[in-house]
Amino acid sequence: MSFDFHRPATVTEAVDLAQRLFPTARFIAGGSDIVIQINRKKIDPSHLIDVACLPGLSGIAETSDEFTLGALTKYHTIETHPAFAGSLRALIEAASVIGGRQVQNIATIGGNIVNASPAADFVPVLLALDAVLDITGPNGSRSVPLQDFIVGPGKTSLLPVEIVTSIRLAKLPARSATAFVKEGRRRAMEISVVCVAACLTLEAGGSRCASVRLAIGAAAPKVFRAKAAEAYLEGQLADQTSFAEAGKLAAEECAPISDVRASADYRRRLVSIMVERALTACFERTGEERR
Amino acid sequence: MNAQNHSVAGRRLPRLDGVGKVTGKHVYAADFKLPGMLYGKVLRSPRAHALIKKIDTSRAASIHGVRGIITSADIPAIRYGTAVRDTTVFAVDRVLFVGHAIAAVAATSLEIAERALEAIEVEYENLPTLFDPEEALNSNIRIHPNWETYKALPIIARSGNIAGQARIRVGDVEAAFAKSYKVYEHRFTTALQHPGYTEPRVATADWDANGNVTVWCNTQLPFDTQNTLAEILDLPSARVRVTVPGIGGGFGGKLRIGVEHFAALLARKTARPIKVMSTSEEELTAALPRQASVVLVKTGVDKDGHLLARSGKIIVDCGAYAGSGPGTAAISLQVMAGPYKTGALELEGIAVYTNKVHSGSFRAPAGPMANFAMECQMDMIAKDLGLDPLEIRLRNVVKEGDPGPSGEIHKSVSIEECLRKAANAIGWHDRKPEPGRGKGIACSWWMTTGGSSGVYVKINPDGTATLVSGAVEIGTGAITGAAQILAEELSLDLTDVNATGVDTQAAPFDYGAQGSRTAFSVGNACLAAAAELRRQMFELAAKQLDAPIEGMSLQDKHVIAGNKSISIAELARISRLAGGGLIAHGTAISPAPPYDPTRVQNHPLPVWNTPSYHAHAVDLSVDQATGKVTINRYVVAQDVGYAINPTYIEGQIEGGVAQGIGQALSEEIVYQDGRVMNANLTDYKMPTAMDVPEIESIIVECRSAAGPYGAKGVGEPPCIEPPAAIGNAIAAATGCWPNSLPMTAEKIAAALRVQQS
Repeated sequence: MSFDFHRPATVTEAVDLAQRLFPTARFIAGGSDIVIQINRKKIDPSHLIDVACLPGLSGIAETSDEFTLGALTKYHTIETHPAFAGSLRALIEAASVIGGRQVQNIATIGGNIVNASPAADFVPVLLALDAVLDITGPNGSRSVPLQDFIVGPGKTSLLPVEIVTSIRLAKLPARSATAFVKEGRRRAMEISVVCVAACLTLEAGGSRCASVRLAIGAAAPKVFRAKAAEAYLEGQLADQTSFAEAGKLAAEECAPISDVRASADYRRRLVSIMVERALTACFERTGEERR
Repeated sequence: MNAQNHSVAGRRLPRLDGVGKVTGKHVYAADFKLPGMLYGKVLRSPRAHALIKKIDTSRAASIHGVRGIITSADIPAIRYGTAVRDTTVFAVDRVLFVGHAIAAVAATSLEIAERALEAIEVEYENLPTLFDPEEALNSNIRIHPNWETYKALPIIARSGNIAGQARIRVGDVEAAFAKSYKVYEHRFTTALQHPGYTEPRVATADWDANGNVTVWCNTQLPFDTQNTLAEILDLPSARVRVTVPGIGGGFGGKLRIGVEHFAALLARKTARPIKVMSTSEEELTAALPRQASVVLVKTGVDKDGHLLARSGKIIVDCGAYAGSGPGTAAISLQVMAGPYKTGALELEGIAVYTNKVHSGSFRAPAGPMANFAMECQMDMIAKDLGLDPLEIRLRNVVKEGDPGPSGEIHKSVSIEECLRKAANAIGWHDRKPEPGRGKGIACSWWMTTGGSSGVYVKINPDGTATLVSGAVEIGTGAITGAAQILAEELSLDLTDVNATGVDTQAAPFDYGAQGSRTAFSVGNACLAAAAELRRQMFELAAKQLDAPIEGMSLQDKHVIAGNKSISIAELARISRLAGGGLIAHGTAISPAPPYDPTRVQNHPLPVWNTPSYHAHAVDLSVDQATGKVTINRYVVAQDVGYAINPTYIEGQIEGGVAQGIGQALSEEIVYQDGRVMNANLTDYKMPTAMDVPEIESIIVECRSAAGPYGAKGVGEPPCIEPPAAIGNAIAAATGCWPNSLPMTAEKIAAALRVQQS
């Protein structure tokens, strides 16, 4: 392991550097994943391009219809952001269980996305919120839905010379709530055995589901949306019976593996239980607006 | 001296090594560096059991920056080991497990050394493998075909793949079963657990111009390491100097040689200082973890739940070498007997070789495994008989003067007090049936390991004392505890005592930082040294003050004789000029108590010294769907004899319970086809601060006859009961007993499903 360390001053400089040093260069932000990959000899880059200090890529901006999260935003910033305490609470719930406090203060949300781990904790929340990524590369900028961005385990549509600069989340309609639940063998520094993010919007009147988005981590080669469960719930009564049925459908949709962390069978059961629990939490959180 | 009047001992004083450790100034072995130092790396086997057909190091040797490579061909054919001398530095002709050392490389950087390892070519021919210890008992495959040629302690009984087999027999167990009202038989399994010390095993070695080698390392047993190194290097032990700058935890995993021999051999080969440090992967594949085990327990009781008969068998998977396996298998017998009166016993412990990592003496070896089986079965019996789990224990616990399993006499017995205090604290009598929530209780006893300790104590001309001990301060505060005893006896403040690091060249022998013995035994040696210093000081004071020795005392750093006095500092100055200084050698040995040798066979530790008694109680919740356990409260009542420093005792209890919670719920080195599947700290799951509740410690003081001021061993016991207490609480919450460690959420959920269907 030996590499040259570059610290560009702007996104353009970073992209230029990446182009020049391709294919032996990798971007590094918080380093909470790439350093482990280097240490375990999974990758051996000759150049590391440090983007952690690039200006304008950090922090949370709000307009009337959306939030923009800089790709370098840290989890601790998200966890303590007052605007997320309401219907977007899943962001806080996921941010507070990623790694431990040290990881939450150094790791970036952009890193979690481009790393594209099937067990990424933040990706399900973003996927359930239909996040859109803004990307800058040699040919300028483009935007892509997160749903299309992650293509497989560790694989994305990002070119090695491109940088994710921000993540945009549309604000939720009234009578909406989100929840994130995670199961693992311990309460911190834990890679999820299964994690589930749910976003529920109720119809006017508050008794039926208008729209539901369910994203599930660590139960398939990539974080996925449980479309059958989502479709089933639309127009259904928002109650324990339908939530349990959605859990069953999601468990049928997932494709977990057996590994040292858990068996496929247990993961499938967790999906069923956790989808039901995440939906129940969402429903309870819409309580104020239902009345 | 009346313990109530102590001014230094028994107080919550800050530890002597505390400031250096919390400010980062303390030098650990991993921090140690020498000018011109090279880096050593070890080539480890990717095969579980194979003949080595060829090792070709020529390509590796030609890499720029590689300064030396050694294999078994370069060193004397020595086998070493504690119980059985079966271990070699490198694999000889055959590899016995994935991770077995084959060669070592010294290079100018770690990266070059790693590249050199990849360039060493080894040809293998696979041999049939044995991974299951029960299968290994009866297999024709031999992991050590020449085991009969190995030397071993005469007490150790071996055969085939069995590295040691011990028995305890009391009374006629078959007759006792025959007259039992009910007989219960259960099988439990426990998993391989890493000691989880913070600092990996590390050593730096350097040879001087006269052919003497110095090794700076983080061993718990500097003198044992010195002897083993002398054997491996084929040198008189005086030419091997082992020094421990600092040690980042050990928990029994650093008792035996780890990487010191690689460093010393590479340094001899290259004539340069060498540093070798284990990686996390090496720690989890080739260190000295706690053995996995299979425990079978059969117990017969009368109608009232009195224990009439117990037969038990523990099969300890010691891996490719015996390591601590034979001792662990043997000690488990006392744990299986427990702090209970049982009419008849027939207990057998077997250590068996498999093609897996060889194992060590992790904190209370055998304690948690045998206790998990025995104490969970106690609750099963209680439930079947309709008895309260606390009540069945109270009906069976030993009382003062009762015989122990080896025929020794239980003395200063406190098990009932510990059980009642732990139960009261957890609210045992307020238990209400509540789905998914339960309370569990478990108890045990444990020895204070014997072995000799020596200290040198010197009074300095400023009136302070220097304490030279051969025992490492492993992080428990034990040396501070011993210094508190020394300061108490000499009327000094604790901060007047300077405790040195350990250097085998200068320090007197100590049996080592192991077996809950350090504060106990070094403390006793300090008592002896203080008595000798008082004698020297009183003699000198008698001359200086022209006063009789009779009636002299030490108070506030002065010798007092009637209305005359002289300071300790003044006496030290006078002695230094005219008498060679005030220096004492204090020694301590705790002899084994009398026992009945006809009860015990092939047991290297046939009787326990100065046992302690303890009980744990836990209140936890179980998620009925996912099986996830949340510990709400955890209480420990532990008899420490005399609390030399209550703060560090609480620290030992809290740390031990944390390790026990890990063993109970999450930790396991997972093997599949001979390969470790989780050789990293992402997937080897030690509990975090978020997983461990506040531990409530109740210190019970039932004075021993042998310990300083009545102290008993403290360090190991806290990790014994957690698996059993937690298992019993899970059963109380769910109705099912997980019989296999770790009791993961997945296993509990599976048990719940079986119960529901």
